[in-house]
Amino acid sequence: MNLAGQSRHSPDEVVDAVVVGTGAGGAPLLAALAAAGLKVVALEAGPNFDPAGYGFDETLADEIYWTEERLSGGSTPEAFGANNSGTGIGGSTLHWGAFVPRADPRDFRLNTESGEGCDWPIDHAELVPFYDRVEAFIGTSGPTPYPWDEARRFPLPPVLRNGPAQLMAAACDRLGITATDAPAAVVSRDFTPEASVPGRKACIHCGFCHQGCRTRAKASMDVTYLPLAVARGAEIRAESRMHGVERDKAGRITGVIYRSGGRDIRQRCANLILCAGAVETPRLLLHLDLATGSGQVGRNYIGHVATQVWGTFPDAVAMNRGYPSSLITEDYTRPKGADFAGGYLVQSLGVEPLTWGNAVARGRGLWGRPLTDYLRQYNRVAGIGINGETLPCDANVLTLSDETDALGMRKARISFGYGSNEDNLNAHATRLMRAIWEAAGASDIWVLERVAHTLGTCRMGRNPDSSVVDPVGRSHEVGNLWICDGSVFPSSLAANPALTIMALSLRTAGAFLRWR
Amino acid sequence: MTDDPVLFCLHFLGGSARTWRRLAEHLGPAARCVALDLPGFGDEAGQPGGGVAAMADHVASRIRAEAPRGPWLIAGNSMGAKVALALARRHEDGDPDLAGLAGLVLLAGSPPAPEPMDEARRQAMIAWIDADPETRRREAEAFVAANVAAPLNPEDHARTVEDVLRANPAAWKAWLTGGACEDWRGRVGTLATPALVVSGAEDGDLGPEAQAALTLPHLARHRHAVAIGAGHLLPLERPRALAGLIRDFVAAPPETAEAPTLPPAFAALMGSERVNTRLRRALRERMREPEGPFCLSPGARATLSACLDRVLPQAGPGRIDLARRIDARLASGTGDGWRYAALPPDAEAYARALHTLDAAARAAHGRPFAALPGAEQDALLGRATSGDLPAVPDGLAPALMTCWFEELRGEAVRTWLAHPAGLAAIGFTGIGAGGDDADALPGYRLTGLNEGEDWESPVRHVPMTAGDAR
Repeated sequence: MNLAGQSRHSPDEVVDAVVVGTGAGGAPLLAALAAAGLKVVALEAGPNFDPAGYGFDETLADEIYWTEERLSGGSTPEAFGANNSGTGIGGSTLHWGAFVPRADPRDFRLNTESGEGCDWPIDHAELVPFYDRVEAFIGTSGPTPYPWDEARRFPLPPVLRNGPAQLMAAACDRLGITATDAPAAVVSRDFTPEASVPGRKACIHCGFCHQGCRTRAKASMDVTYLPLAVARGAEIRAESRMHGVERDKAGRITGVIYRSGGRDIRQRCANLILCAGAVETPRLLLHLDLATGSGQVGRNYIGHVATQVWGTFPDAVAMNRGYPSSLITEDYTRPKGADFAGGYLVQSLGVEPLTWGNAVARGRGLWGRPLTDYLRQYNRVAGIGINGETLPCDANVLTLSDETDALGMRKARISFGYGSNEDNLNAHATRLMRAIWEAAGASDIWVLERVAHTLGTCRMGRNPDSSVVDPVGRSHEVGNLWICDGSVFPSSLAANPALTIMALSLRTAGAFLRWR
Repeated sequence: MTDDPVLFCLHFLGGSARTWRRLAEHLGPAARCVALDLPGFGDEAGQPGGGVAAMADHVASRIRAEAPRGPWLIAGNSMGAKVALALARRHEDGDPDLAGLAGLVLLAGSPPAPEPMDEARRQAMIAWIDADPETRRREAEAFVAANVAAPLNPEDHARTVEDVLRANPAAWKAWLTGGACEDWRGRVGTLATPALVVSGAEDGDLGPEAQAALTLPHLARHRHAVAIGAGHLLPLERPRALAGLIRDFVAAPPETAEAPTLPPAFAALMGSERVNTRLRRALRERMREPEGPFCLSPGARATLSACLDRVLPQAGPGRIDLARRIDARLASGTGDGWRYAALPPDAEAYARALHTLDAAARAAHGRPFAALPGAEQDALLGRATSGDLPAVPDGLAPALMTCWFEELRGEAVRTWLAHPAGLAAIGFTGIGAGGDDADALPGYRLTGLNEGEDWESPVRHVPMTAGDAR
């Protein structure tokens, strides 16, 4: 993104806030604080990319993934890197799928409803105005009216359906399941939300959302909230990797140390807002022994049950074309007679070849001729997948391993496994997806077990003994430390998280401004 | 290759043009040896010597002066081989003085990398070359004796010791502290010039394993022969055998493993304006053999290569060297952002897993994994999948072999589908989503079932019969 002419602050100037991370958690907040006249500096570990330079290639896209090694353990180890972790100005929104369901109101009261999991310390109704603001600004495309939320309005009509969406739509129709065009933060028409942000051209259906959007149709933060933030006076520093803090005798943070161009720089600040995601945020806190008094940092790591079902069709599907997940059903947010708490969303799936082939080789376990024969079916396969509720659990934790990275920071070790609620949800969803794919006419159906997203580890709550931040994101222990990213989630919600993270980001920004 | 080519011969540290006398006799009319003295050695002892580039300059001027009429070759022993590699790079980069280079003969060659050498020995050699005459003679005798596996005949031995003693001490030291330590890996890269590599089984630092690890990766077309019972001074120790190897090499130079060719329609799309320049360059780069560095031992690389032939068989014609690409990735230390916590870091996991497989093959069949028939390799890989290969020292625990084999399958497919031949094989058209003008990218107009655009149809092939992978 264009950073020419942005505000500049001296490292010795005490800025109002240093924001670490420029993804869905950091960017909306950065823009809001800058708009309120605060002096804010964002530190981004990754580079500043020009979207026009993305290559339409999965291997070249490694540049936008966080590929520093993490250690994955537990009974259902989660993949990181391209699966869920980004780097660069814009963070993980550079590669996100831009699939933007809103969270289901019932998911915030799951414990009250079911006795399982936990309630959020905030109410869904409180988030609705923030959802509205985010959607109007980043540009969401989808069907109005939306079958599962009468109040929801999309600024733009849906993007084109692709082959997997057509197959799923026909099958759902046959089975009496409501399904419709996906809520997508991809602009289906040329779009300019306000004068200070460069306009964006309509989606060209290239299918490379996860490899970086060359046309800027996808609402990554570097084409939405970050240009707004810079226009309002924020400063963004790329390739600036935070790894230390300075604190006064009272324990308040007075400065942030970051590595840039091989040397350490200290930026003085009045407040620190960590928005580095649910792996790097707790990793930094554990590394710095910051806000760790309650023992909660790193606990209750959560992902989503993200199982996929694949099948081969008589049609030419060529699933790489178009917006990858262009159909949704929210009919299973509370399935009747379910033996689990919470629910899941179902989406159609088109996947680029290398990601798909990797999943086939690893997840289906094929090798030899069966593998190469199946890979050659690429243009005839299509998938559907879910995003399902995951409850917090004591066994699922992020800790620091004994191995260190190039900065000498210990690598994150994530232990994650399904409990019985996830297992039951997964079994239910797998039966459903198989039924849909059979109704769609698929042959050679198989199931890919998969975990998505990184959430939890610094959950919000009212009780300082069982949470890391209060209900607006302020640390219980360090007075001028705030957290704003997926790590504050107490439970996963069935919805894909980024839209909710953006809404929470605006909400936290408001609370921060009122507090100061 | 050619009739009676000229063979320019470059000696070892302390040698001279005389080193090649017996080889020249044995070669007879099959090749005409033009043995050169490198600067600071032999009749050129008046010169101060120098590093690899300076020596290459000297040789290039001699070759230009000689003006061989037909194709010619360079042979190098130890130090001379490193100079030969530098000259081959110049030739492949189009140096007109070196047009006509048709082959390399690398005998116990000093590799492009800094030469592996015990530091104490290096310092001792630097010290005695300037010592009193008595010490110099004693050490020169010992030096020659230490570099051969069995004593030379007295005449050759005496002449070789005399060569060492007439070397310019400045040139001797310049090589030990300079040329031998220079890192030419990046500059040499991968050479297409055919190469005969000969190593002595009894050579201390530059024997068969070192040649396989340090020299062969730089040679796209090579033949490696091991001289049993020989040390480092191969032209003196094995002149007759070398003559035979060189004659065979001239008659039938080694071929590279043929790279896959792209289907014309995919190649045409790759070259079209629908593909952006960055992607086109990247795809073409992925068709080149990676130049290293590498990290697997030659044995582990061979096991990996055999595994990959079973995991992702390539029908041909031509094949992508997946093992070479994975080895380069492992050496680079880069990864995909995570690994199973139970596995050691990637390079170690691969080395230990491949060792486990090879040990299981040797235990069950008495042969290395790479030498087994496909069905027996498959059986062992099947046992790796189910976690019941036997545990071996320095191997990977049986249960972890399951995790590693999953990693290997994924990496094999990712490597294959990064290569344009892989993308072409599955009929992928996505590379054509748009060229260089980011404001006017075409993308896809049609995204639905059984729809396709004209530009896609030559590349996108949809199998006509429903296949079941199981």
